[in-house]
Amino acid sequence: MLKSFDNKALEELNDSNASENERAKKGLKKRSDFGYAVLFLGPSLLLLGVFVFYPMIKTLYMSLFLTNNFGQTTIFVGLKNYTSLLTSASFLASLSSTFIYVIGVMVLTIVLGLALAVFANQKLKGIQFFRTIFSSTMGVSVSVAAIFFLFVFNPTTGLLNQMAGLLHLPQLNWMTDPNLAMITVIVSTVWMNLGFTFLVLFGALQAVPRSLYDAADIEGASKSYQLFKITIPMISPSLFFVGIVTLIGAFKSFGLIDLMTAGGPNNATNLLVYRIYQDAFLNGNYSQASTESIVLTIIIAVMTIIQFKVLEKRVNY
Amino acid sequence: MDIANSSQRIGKHKFKISNFLQYLLLIILALIVIGPFLLGLWTSFLPTSSITKGSLAGSLTFDNYVTAVQTTPVLRYLLNSFIVSIIRTVGEVLLCSMAAYAFVFLKFKGRNFIFYLFLATMMLPFEAEVIPNFMTVKSMNLLNTYSVMIIPFLTSAFGTFMLRQSFLQIPTDLKEESDVEGLSHFQFYWHVVLPYSKITLLTLAAYSFLSSWNEYLWPMLTTFSDQYRTVQAGLRQMQSTETFNNWGMIMASAVIVVIPTLIILFVGQHFFKSGLNDGSVK
Amino acid sequence: MNKRLWITSIIGVIVLAVFGVFFSAHSNADQSAQSNQRIKIIFWHEMTGPGADQIQQFADNFNKKQTKYEVVPEYEGSYNQAIQKVLQTHGTNASPALFQSMDVSTGQMRNANITTPVQKFIDEDKYDMDKIMPAARAFYSKDGQQLSMPFNTSQPTLFYNKAVFKKYGVKDLPTDPSYDDIKNAAKEITDKSKGAVKGVTVDAYGWYFEEFMANSGQTLANMDDGHDGFPTKVDFTNQATVNAMNWLQEMNKNGSFISFGSGSTSASNEIASFLSGKLGIMLQSSASMGQLEAAAKPGDLGVTYYPRPNGQKSNGVAIGGASLWISNDKDSATQRGAWEFIKYLMQPENQAQWQKATGYIALNKDSQTEPVLKELYKQHPEAQVPSNQLARTKPNATNSGILMEGLVQMRTITQNAMQQIYAGRNVNDALKDAENQFNSYLAQHNKANGYSNK
Repeated sequence: MLKSFDNKALEELNDSNASENERAKKGLKKRSDFGYAVLFLGPSLLLLGVFVFYPMIKTLYMSLFLTNNFGQTTIFVGLKNYTSLLTSASFLASLSSTFIYVIGVMVLTIVLGLALAVFANQKLKGIQFFRTIFSSTMGVSVSVAAIFFLFVFNPTTGLLNQMAGLLHLPQLNWMTDPNLAMITVIVSTVWMNLGFTFLVLFGALQAVPRSLYDAADIEGASKSYQLFKITIPMISPSLFFVGIVTLIGAFKSFGLIDLMTAGGPNNATNLLVYRIYQDAFLNGNYSQASTESIVLTIIIAVMTIIQFKVLEKRVNY
Repeated sequence: MDIANSSQRIGKHKFKISNFLQYLLLIILALIVIGPFLLGLWTSFLPTSSITKGSLAGSLTFDNYVTAVQTTPVLRYLLNSFIVSIIRTVGEVLLCSMAAYAFVFLKFKGRNFIFYLFLATMMLPFEAEVIPNFMTVKSMNLLNTYSVMIIPFLTSAFGTFMLRQSFLQIPTDLKEESDVEGLSHFQFYWHVVLPYSKITLLTLAAYSFLSSWNEYLWPMLTTFSDQYRTVQAGLRQMQSTETFNNWGMIMASAVIVVIPTLIILFVGQHFFKSGLNDGSVK
Repeated sequence: MNKRLWITSIIGVIVLAVFGVFFSAHSNADQSAQSNQRIKIIFWHEMTGPGADQIQQFADNFNKKQTKYEVVPEYEGSYNQAIQKVLQTHGTNASPALFQSMDVSTGQMRNANITTPVQKFIDEDKYDMDKIMPAARAFYSKDGQQLSMPFNTSQPTLFYNKAVFKKYGVKDLPTDPSYDDIKNAAKEITDKSKGAVKGVTVDAYGWYFEEFMANSGQTLANMDDGHDGFPTKVDFTNQATVNAMNWLQEMNKNGSFISFGSGSTSASNEIASFLSGKLGIMLQSSASMGQLEAAAKPGDLGVTYYPRPNGQKSNGVAIGGASLWISNDKDSATQRGAWEFIKYLMQPENQAQWQKATGYIALNKDSQTEPVLKELYKQHPEAQVPSNQLARTKPNATNSGILMEGLVQMRTITQNAMQQIYAGRNVNDALKDAENQFNSYLAQHNKANGYSNK
């Protein structure tokens, strides 16, 4: 969830090398702690090796083969899985709905999260209460959120359609219309993201020096001017951080899809990870699922590298 | 003087209106944020018969909770989640702090390389690795056990980085002193480093617990009986069997399940905030 | 010092491993401790609602009746999920002794060689299979060998709202309606109600697609729908399928057809619409019978056989539902226990109770005289239609299921084609595309699994 420490870590790798030199200068005996390193690092390395590095290589390997019903590789096909996947209309449709979903989630999450943070960043009596509420969705797990929203959007008994009925507005088929289903899952995801986004942005806002606003007030700058010219630039690293974390999280979305739409209706919400699950664990097509996994990995890796690079620059800002 | 007074009064008046508007806005936002939760809470006290009729009114009752506890394994799911999450949290804090210690206080060949290796794991989504991982745990005969949900997650690059960052702030003098006193690495790690970074350790523990609690895909794939299902996999199970029959009970179960994490969030909020802000920006 | 460290580190790794093994061992001990005398029969099923409750009840009763075995039912999600779960856990501690698997997975289960054919126990016990309805038996057998025991068995059936028919003065449908009978009635309802009531719907559901072929006596896959070997090609562009699809599209074009889409939500929406009198005719599984009877006024529910092509006798439809399989990765005592439970489930009174509780057809011929069913038929004569349809069906290659792998994918493809056809796409084009798509999948699948007919 939190991918923030890595960029710092990168940066501080240099710091630590520096402090190491410092230590060396201070005349500490220079010996290798190899034995201790094995002891301290061994368990983690072993686990990462077995559950992160090996499966990645294995996934790549499987994506170059056909697999049988038990997931064993049988016939080498080279890159054929990739060419047939990337020319398959249904996969491309999945990719494009994934992008629509991801961008929708990211934009709405940031806008709403920022709104919450700005309104919570005031000196009012009892504001702490509102801050706690705004962060609360972070404690709601995916299955619970799905159950709440399934009820909100339920076509007959759901809150939305009941309110629509009371107000004599048309009742919409939230879960069964392909476009509306996409909106449904986006809204639910954004809601789940709000707590985390709020906490990060609110923390950043609190770090913005009060004096900047006081100066702007004296000069008679409007609130919206202050928002766009002071607040947003000052917290832009946080905004970027939240944006990319949300983006990466959205690319990996699975739980809400599985619980709310199961990829439907008519594949409208068949996002990448759900598709991987579906191909592997419902259709038993492991080589195709592996190929899709590699596509997902490439997307996530690119996003992560962008995150590293941009934040690395921005962090000293 | 009169003029000054009245303008002051107007100012005060204005202040009140804007205050009122601000509160109104905050309340509306708060209602939007906790609306789904309130709705769930409310319906969990309604008889299912009135829910399915589309009515949100009716006599409030605890029946749904009684039914949920008596006829579904929701308490078992909770117990399983606690077992898995607690062991995972302890394990992750321990192994990550050990790894972080190695990166900060130990000198050995290839340290940077291994560090970059850790870094690289951030780019590899677990979701893309479930197929081989499933086969691995299957060959270890771990399917449908607690350990299948614990062992793969006993360490994380994220936790290691977070702690490494915190360890780096430990004054070098401390290490020198302990060397002079003849403390071994284990003693230094246990008696100095861990207590020194208590806050970060607690932050990591809270994160670890929440993410373990919220884990969805993996428990769903690797558990096959209620004996081991965690709340996420369990609620999915209940939802797919019962939705059409018993909304009230499903809601009650969801509320039962959400309470522990909400408590952890509210108690740990302080840590989260400081942890998040350390992490995201300076 | 260094040597000692090495040793300690190795010990560290071992401790970690032991940590893991402890948990798995602990959990296994847990399982065996609970049933130290009784043999535990883990039974995976995919039933929800009343079906799940009834299965639990059967298991409880069975466990009370004898002391040797303990049947533990576990719900494992949808049919599609369960197939992969079974295949993927086979040979581990997590696998079931007895499992329920859907109709179209039969070919795959058989090829996977992970089960003991129930024929072995039938022979050992000289169990009288003649008591079981032949069309249901035939679906789950190959070369005269019974692979699995048919269990929850449904028939695709046509339901119509008699109250709506009466309101608009439309004549009731015959028990064995042709495409035209339905088309005319649907048009009449739509016209007379000025569009307030939609005439007919057919879910974009692959099962119905397959049943249109079965009822026309048309094979879908070569090798006699897989009864003669591994199918290598499917045929969606045959005249029978084109006729059925044209019929659906015509009704769509003349405005008497409404599409609810595809998937489980579409089924529940269409049932809701049907019950509220906004829909005249629909195809549904007979397993919805219980739900429909409970909601409809007595006498309002019309039930007929599956639609047949104009001017042609119906060949009979294949069953739907699922059967019970015995895993071959458990010891012989456990397998025997699984079989004993199957026999228990197939007893006439239990089958009768099963039909009453769920709407699935009682498969034991003696069930029809059980008081439970007699009472049911007295109150709801139409509840008998699906079992009559099943009983009159003479099994042949085209109406006994398709023994082919990849039917889950095939349904995704055919359902897509149906939706395109509803949306107005040229029938032949849509079918040809679907056919090509699945044929290339099938070729690859057969290659990957090393299936050939040599």
